[in-house]
Amino acid sequence: MGTKFARGLGKALLGAAIVATAIAVTPASAETVINRGFGASPDTLDPHMNFGAREGWIQDDIYEGLTAADAKGEMGPGAADKWEASDDGLTWTFHLRDGLKWSNGDPLVAQDYVNGVIRQLEPKTASPRAYYFSSLVPLVGGQEFIDAGEGKGDPSTVGISAPDDKTIVMKLKAPQPNMLFLVESYHIPPLHKPSFDKFGADFIKPENIVTNGAYMMTENVPQSHVTLVKNPHYWNAANVKIDKVVYVVTEDDQTELKRYKAGELQTTNEIPSDQLDAVKEEFGKEVRITPYLESQYISFNITKAPFDNVKVRQALAIGIDRQILQDKILKAGYQANCGYSPPNDPRYHQPQVPECNMTKEERSAKGKALLAEAGFGPDNPLKVTIETSTDNTSKKLAEGVALMWKQYLGVEAKVNAQEFQAWMNTFYAGGWDVLNDNLIGDMPGPESHLAYMRPSAESGYNWKNDEFEGLMDKAAAEPDIAKRYEILAQAEKNLLDYYLLTPLDVTVSRHLVKPAVKGWENNILDVHPSKLMSVE
Amino acid sequence: MFAFAIRRIIGAIPTLFALIVISFFIMRVAPGGPFSGNRKLTAAVLENMNKAYHLDEPVWMQFGRYLWSLVHFDFGPSMKYKDFSVTELIVQGIPVSLEVGLWAMLFATITGIALGIAGALRRNGATDLTAGIVAMTGIAVPTFVIGPLLQIVFGLQLRWFPVAGWDGSLNAKILPVIVLALPNIAYISRLTRGSMIEALRTNYVRTARAKGIGPQRVIWKHALTGAMLPVIAYLGPATAITVTGSVVIEQIFGIPGIGRYFVEGASNRDYPLVMGVTILYGGIVILANIITDIARGMLDPKVSYE
Repeated sequence: MGTKFARGLGKALLGAAIVATAIAVTPASAETVINRGFGASPDTLDPHMNFGAREGWIQDDIYEGLTAADAKGEMGPGAADKWEASDDGLTWTFHLRDGLKWSNGDPLVAQDYVNGVIRQLEPKTASPRAYYFSSLVPLVGGQEFIDAGEGKGDPSTVGISAPDDKTIVMKLKAPQPNMLFLVESYHIPPLHKPSFDKFGADFIKPENIVTNGAYMMTENVPQSHVTLVKNPHYWNAANVKIDKVVYVVTEDDQTELKRYKAGELQTTNEIPSDQLDAVKEEFGKEVRITPYLESQYISFNITKAPFDNVKVRQALAIGIDRQILQDKILKAGYQANCGYSPPNDPRYHQPQVPECNMTKEERSAKGKALLAEAGFGPDNPLKVTIETSTDNTSKKLAEGVALMWKQYLGVEAKVNAQEFQAWMNTFYAGGWDVLNDNLIGDMPGPESHLAYMRPSAESGYNWKNDEFEGLMDKAAAEPDIAKRYEILAQAEKNLLDYYLLTPLDVTVSRHLVKPAVKGWENNILDVHPSKLMSVE
Repeated sequence: MFAFAIRRIIGAIPTLFALIVISFFIMRVAPGGPFSGNRKLTAAVLENMNKAYHLDEPVWMQFGRYLWSLVHFDFGPSMKYKDFSVTELIVQGIPVSLEVGLWAMLFATITGIALGIAGALRRNGATDLTAGIVAMTGIAVPTFVIGPLLQIVFGLQLRWFPVAGWDGSLNAKILPVIVLALPNIAYISRLTRGSMIEALRTNYVRTARAKGIGPQRVIWKHALTGAMLPVIAYLGPATAITVTGSVVIEQIFGIPGIGRYFVEGASNRDYPLVMGVTILYGGIVILANIITDIARGMLDPKVSYE
């Protein structure tokens, strides 16, 4: 313990020294600081392990991918300022800017990006997002590299290479028209190999970390805050206006709101959903509510009777009035959704469930008729348990659905709320009836949501449908986005017609942003790079 | 006394071991695992992560591995906060919890005893009544109500203190210390009052009075010494609980202590973290009990160390 403590002290002093140097290099004029509410303490800031969207904000600030999001969440040049794709969409070539550097002054080369991808794929890393470069970006040899096992894969067989210090070539098994979304910092952070070789997994400690983004991390205090300061070696450092960014851990959203009111925070991670109306009234334009990449839906257990009967599933789907659920019960600012994927790409024409706009009477009549056909009625009511996690909005949602099923259909519905891990375990164990379910997509558009329903995703729905599979394969081979979306729309219709699930809504991101903070734009990705902001 | 302390510490080893065994296996019985996230990971990825944390081994082997690392003072990695080891999380959090907890206990003890004595001396008087109301409020109103209330009054309206946050300044500590102290003030004042009233009626106090000792000396030396015994018995475990942090106070006031790890560690199935804080808590409780026993022996001539 003694030596460990001494080492810890040494590290702390070193950290302090780094902070001191960092402060010393910033201009003498008053320092611009922003305090951003962050929610719960980050799980990990290891860029190749991180699977969290909020952690992604910090990752966006300290790392730069080949592309980078602008304030509106649209992808533009990042570390690469030019790129081209081959006509078949299978080869992508990215060209890095001149004179790129790491935060310690080391030159940043194309191989650093290749190393980052390989680390993410390497089984030894045990990254939860190893699948990114085998399925989302289907690199040639990506899956094979994972399958080879710990330390056995040959990186040269993976379809990513750096022919010279400024060029990265990626070879894909199937085209990916959304490629630019998948090569930004969240997906393809480079690896600074010297520090990784020296410190191992500790390379992300503030005293060791070397990054290439607009900021560098100087402090990471669990349950308290993460501090970033401007990186003087960033290629566009001259245009970065905020000198210091403090991500403040705010586990309790009520406290976060009070801290915002007191001026201790300039932006928040959340707005308490039960105070949404009051907050809107008090803060007006400071309230930022934007649809997010997440959809919520009710999944049916198609392997369990009577839910293996499509009529039962259809009746239950008809028994939910999505708009009333939002307006009268949830009131969290979410948007009712009649398709499965979040409708966030205007190029995609989302199919809708036919029961979307039914009246209460229609729902009751049609739903009861379907249940009667399946052998359920007043003498023999259908019994359903909705499995949900205990978090507030999920529970409310499940209770609302159960109430509608009782009222509209005469179904004996009850809600079983369990803490998150136990709820997930119930799902994987397979004995459940219906699940209060949700999924966050990897990018805008329907694709990541639909791909998750394929058996290959092993997502636990036990759904194998040849027509859906065929359409998904066909879409995956289509490089033209308009045509690809047409095929995906057919796949989504197929999924909805099967009633594997029934959609409920699209969630939103809810933030408060002080008027003095400029450069924060609402966007679907909920990304807000600090380098694009300023504080007046 | 020294021999007594050593004996008690040695006697605590089996207790601590039993605590380790029970918590280790109870945690494994809870459904789900540390990596069951919202999006199901493919079997290959999950297998890999389990392997990295040795969760693929049989439980008895994991237990052996855990004991072995404990012997080396290594609590293992946190499975939730992957950037830190459990030791790092505890080393960073415990000074904060200790600081808030000890100030709260000090404040609670002084205030509680003062209120208790005042109440006992002027029974059913105005002071006693006020102290009683304060005490009942402290016991009945939970900290998650008082905390936000004080934040609104002193943080938002009066702007005397920051709403939340931990920057090491005195101002940031005042509200959480008060909120944490309140229920303890309540218990301590009620305990002191009750046992003080009892002590004032005992034979030795009557004897002291009969011998002509002044009322001040009787109260402060004779009665109070006896009256403190139940209070001290309460203070031991209460201090252990308070200094290991409070999940409610920490979340409301944004304090980076270790209290939340008991709750979060368990709900995230972060096995090593739960084990780490449980062992720490067990150790502190045992230590507090030993100190309590020694203190009681010093105050009460009837208690012997044998």
